[in-house]
Amino acid sequence: MSRQRSGRWGTAHQPRRMVVPALLAFWLVIPLTPLLLWAGASRWSGPARLPQDFGFHGWQEAQDAGVIAASIRSALLGAAVALIATPLGVLAGRALGWRLLRRPALPSIVLLGPLVLAPFAVAMGFDVVVLRLGIPGEVAVVLVLSVFALPYTTVTMRAAYLGLDPALEEQARVLGASSRQARRRVTLPAATTGLVTATGLAFLVGWSDYAVTLLIGGGQIVTAPMLIGSSAAGSGNDALTSTLAISASLPPLVALAVFTYAASRRRTAAHS
Amino acid sequence: MTAALRLSAITHRHQGADQSTLADVDLEVQNGQMVAVLGPSGSGKTTLLRIAAGLERPESGDVLLDGMSVVGVPPERRDLTVMFQKPHLFPHLSVLDNVAFADRLRGRNRSQSRAAAQRYLDLVHLGDFGGRRPRQLSGGQEQRVALARALAAGRGVMLLDEPFSALDTSLRTSMHQLLGEVRAALGPTIVIVTHDLEEAGLADRVAVLVEGRVEQFDSIESLYAAPKTLAVARLVGGFNELPGRVTSGAHHSSLGSFTLPGAVEVEGPAILLIRKERLGLTHVDAVPTATGRVVQVRQSGPHQDVVVELEHPPTGATLRVAVEARMGTSLRPGDRTGVVVPAPEGVWAVRDPGADESCAAAHALVTPAVSDNATKNRAETRGPR
Repeated sequence: MSRQRSGRWGTAHQPRRMVVPALLAFWLVIPLTPLLLWAGASRWSGPARLPQDFGFHGWQEAQDAGVIAASIRSALLGAAVALIATPLGVLAGRALGWRLLRRPALPSIVLLGPLVLAPFAVAMGFDVVVLRLGIPGEVAVVLVLSVFALPYTTVTMRAAYLGLDPALEEQARVLGASSRQARRRVTLPAATTGLVTATGLAFLVGWSDYAVTLLIGGGQIVTAPMLIGSSAAGSGNDALTSTLAISASLPPLVALAVFTYAASRRRTAAHS
Repeated sequence: MTAALRLSAITHRHQGADQSTLADVDLEVQNGQMVAVLGPSGSGKTTLLRIAAGLERPESGDVLLDGMSVVGVPPERRDLTVMFQKPHLFPHLSVLDNVAFADRLRGRNRSQSRAAAQRYLDLVHLGDFGGRRPRQLSGGQEQRVALARALAAGRGVMLLDEPFSALDTSLRTSMHQLLGEVRAALGPTIVIVTHDLEEAGLADRVAVLVEGRVEQFDSIESLYAAPKTLAVARLVGGFNELPGRVTSGAHHSSLGSFTLPGAVEVEGPAILLIRKERLGLTHVDAVPTATGRVVQVRQSGPHQDVVVELEHPPTGATLRVAVEARMGTSLRPGDRTGVVVPAPEGVWAVRDPGADESCAAAHALVTPAVSDNATKNRAETRGPR
């Protein structure tokens, strides 16, 4: 009986099992297809549907434009933002998720507020402050981007802590852990998935930022998005722009793939 | 001899509460002893445990471990551990690493701590489960792991906060058996908080906590045979209550006079307590203490309770008593029966908390009440209609 039922369900779910990954692939492939084609094209004039000549001169031009150095700068910016916004997000998420604050409304508004602020407006306003106070541009960019990343890390960690019982820390304490050890060895590792997600989101805020880096950095900090922006705005070189865009998209995509694979391996190991 | 754990005059009031959760509580646990703290919900027993563990600070009073005051010492530096109602296994660690957690904190290397943990897992019959994750365990298995982890912590005192109350009856019984095995093997000092009499029966001594006060600290047998207060009797359950007055070692009430055991110290207004299993049923012609009519026969665990409404009490009041009968009694509602009240060793008396000296006698004569609300075998009395 149960076998029959599982068979029927299996048949019913078969198309869905194929449709969902197909839709997801479509979601990623559609925007990337023209970029991929351009990155491999030497000549692609309209109204041709496909490039007339294939070649990799776009990659050479990207390298000459300094894509590697810009990507390293973007990675450093992302890492710096993640280093600041993730621990703060852990503290805020813990306090909000476990309702440790007597009046959580105001801190919530302050922490989550940047989500509703336009980055351009904040960057313009902050630019004046940076100039008056003499704060180095790199530091100012990192600080402002950390403020923008904080809502993402806070919301992610709040969800992670909501799924954890605060009594785990008490349990650790009565087994001999100090309050710091209880956090470091029990609740934080137990919230690893949320922590990795929060770190990834904070990194991406730094990695992919354009507006804040441009306005507060004053064009002195050349990151990957800055290169893409300037190429798209002024060069008219679609092959170069596409190559830069793909170069900027690949590292996060690879990181996402590795993380997803590792998470699925952990789940499989746990169920085996 | 120095007690392994001593709670001295502990008083505590929760923030914003009108009255104290704990009032002047004393408790002493000797090394290797198991003490149960028995009480209804809200009696303050978990708060008492949390204060002993250092998870809450008392308003006043002292906590002593091996004679040393530890008030102000954080939980991790007290020589005790706690097993909570929920197992609280660490989800990111394997079962073996959960049990090895305390050893790892102490700085032992991974292989040493795992080897030690394996011995405790074997002790709780989960030797093959070390590689699993907590989410792969059943509720009973999780509690076994939590017990192994508490034992592996190697602390002087183990505090158990209703650890088996979420388990079903058969699992709870097997955990009780396991606790017995652990005590026989390791002889740990244990304080267990519970509202379950059967669980309290596992302990050497039982502290009955009612509304934040220790009403009695005694063996479980004494709680059943000689409760110190009406609150203890009601918590233990199974007593018929009869208000009256004690003078010269005898209790006088509408049911007559009963000689009390010598250990009864109460004088004046008092409630006569007779356990339902101590009362007997007999034929009406066999010279019983009283006669009456059966009004209810109900199942009470493996026994049956026969509720008898007594005839012709001197005051004319309606008086009911519950009598425990063997399974398969032939009595049915409406049948007449005789009730036999036991000799002095079968009765007990406690001070009547609801009566003052001036009206006690009148109260006993007008509204003699026999009741037991703890186990629902209510024997009730109504005034003249």
